[in-house]
Amino acid sequence: MSSLSARLLISVSVLLLLFFGATIVVLDIAFRDVGEKAREDILDGQLMTLLAAAEPNAAGELEMPAGLPEPRFGNVGSGLYADLQDSDGNHLWRSPSSLGLELPHGPVTRLGAQQFSRLIMEDGTPLMSLSIAVEWELPDGELKPYIFYVAESLDSFNAQVARYRRQLFTWFGAIAIIMLFSISLLMRGVLRPLRRIEQEISEIEKGNRQSLSEGFPTELSGVARNMNVLIGSERARSERYRQTLDNLAHSLKTPLAAMRAILTQQKSPSLTEQLDPQISQMTEIVRYQLRKPAASASDAIGATPVPLEAELSRLVDALRKVYGEKDPTIDLSVTEDAEFRGDTGDFLELAGNLLDNACKWCESQVSLTIRPANDAGGMLLTVDDDGPGIPEDAAEALLQRGSRLDESAPGHGIGLAVVRDIARSYGGTVSIEASYLGGASMTVVIPPAAQR
Amino acid sequence: MRLLVIEDDATLRETLCSQLADEGFGIEQAADGREGLYFALEYPIDLAIVDLGLPEISGLDLIRQLREKGKTYPILILTARDRWQDKVDGLSAGADDYVVKPFHFEEVTARVNALLRRSGGWASSTLSAGPVMLDTSRQELRVSERSIELTSYEYKIIEHLMIRAGEVISKTELTDRLYDQDFERDSNVIEVFIGRLRKKMDPDNTIKPIETLRGRGYRFALERNQDV
Repeated sequence: MSSLSARLLISVSVLLLLFFGATIVVLDIAFRDVGEKAREDILDGQLMTLLAAAEPNAAGELEMPAGLPEPRFGNVGSGLYADLQDSDGNHLWRSPSSLGLELPHGPVTRLGAQQFSRLIMEDGTPLMSLSIAVEWELPDGELKPYIFYVAESLDSFNAQVARYRRQLFTWFGAIAIIMLFSISLLMRGVLRPLRRIEQEISEIEKGNRQSLSEGFPTELSGVARNMNVLIGSERARSERYRQTLDNLAHSLKTPLAAMRAILTQQKSPSLTEQLDPQISQMTEIVRYQLRKPAASASDAIGATPVPLEAELSRLVDALRKVYGEKDPTIDLSVTEDAEFRGDTGDFLELAGNLLDNACKWCESQVSLTIRPANDAGGMLLTVDDDGPGIPEDAAEALLQRGSRLDESAPGHGIGLAVVRDIARSYGGTVSIEASYLGGASMTVVIPPAAQR
Repeated sequence: MRLLVIEDDATLRETLCSQLADEGFGIEQAADGREGLYFALEYPIDLAIVDLGLPEISGLDLIRQLREKGKTYPILILTARDRWQDKVDGLSAGADDYVVKPFHFEEVTARVNALLRRSGGWASSTLSAGPVMLDTSRQELRVSERSIELTSYEYKIIEHLMIRAGEVISKTELTDRLYDQDFERDSNVIEVFIGRLRKKMDPDNTIKPIETLRGRGYRFALERNQDV
């Protein structure tokens, strides 16, 4: 069960089932008890009526009058029955309603005691019966025992109970459905802040947002606060790390430059021959290994899109200065929906190294195009030149440089290895092909932030 | 030509300055941004070499201030930071080129010469005026398609004169270009070199490339050719 709402709904359903079930049982029992008690009282009243109506006849036996006050005794199959027996079990009288029916009798315990019983008639109809054994003082002063008996069919009572039960189920069922529905609505409201956190985190991932907003409920504001602290410290940590490497590289390069200057001043070819390659190698190691690392995908949390055209125009202005004497034509074409989310420095490093190479090798033509990597955005950057180009087998080797830097000959620039590393850290790729301009065509593909 | 070197690392600054002086440049040097800014504003400077990581005033600020105060001479950045971001920042602040530390000295002189050439109004590395063509990247002089052998001293003088074609260059400045600063200034060695150059370039005395202005100096007199 991965959904909180589903979890809650299922638990609530089970609880409702137990609770409502118990309530229904209790209500049912109470209703039955009250109903039965009422039935017993009525039956008791009927019995009293019979006792009051009985009169001894001339033969010295008890006799019931023809018309009783309760008309149901007179109607056949009315459901209310009565009879009168002597102590031997001989029927002295039977109510006309019991005509043709065999009435079951419960046991009679002792004189004067009322005895309620539940009985079943031959045709299966349930009965509630009440009997009483009395001693009747006849006019001659003789005491004679009799048993008075009344019984009523429980059919209508049971039908009433069943109706009552049906109503209970209907109402409680309706209430349960309404409750579950309201709870699920409620859950939606209660869980809305969670959905908001989720949405804001995904916005941060996509770089549309710097941190989680304020105003979460008390239970979540702690989570949001800690999350912001985490994001902040993560950014600070990676920035500190880059800064440290950068400072280290910076502080090593000046002494290296001084060493080289001193070496030049010595004007000793043999010393230069021995030491210069060493200095060059150290230089490349420092430049490559200690260079400010590219932002990783996680550093790009909250990164905003780099304003590509503005940065490119700064870069191209700079390159035009540097290549002022060669003065190559640099064509720029940037499609508007291309997007690079990340560090501006990383973008400049990609475009700068590729353009620098192209300007270095071209005859007179350099062209840079940027368009989206795919439908979801991203950036596809291609730099073409009309220089000598790069043979296919050399291209692979060029891209491999840097991974085994210390073996490589110094002085060949590490631009392409840097481009490759930055592209990789953004989940992208670099490829080299023949250009339509006649020289090399270098392509960097950076997928959109969401697909890294 | 006077160069200003602003670099806080003493060893690097001193060796670089002495090597540039060997190349014949007049040198001013400063160890921090404040001192550097003072020299850059108050002294007659033809080109400044500026380290970006300077104490007191950062290299970037220094360059910006120079440009704001209307100084237009070329500025070469020395930087240990080789990310494009830093290069672009430096160049858009007003610098003209950069050299990344640790550099070969030849790289610095090549850039300095190229910048001086450009600031002299030459767009390409080949200077051409009338029948005279000087290819500075190959250090080769041709007059009317005829290649002329030059000693390195002669080359430096004709290069200096041609870069600033049309301007009057004093004898002192040419002396500086050839030797260390403490060289005996009264020597007439410059006259000797100029005489040799004239003989090599213009044996028939028809094109008269170098003019003598008595008491003031020399001038490369031919009109620059328009770039084709």
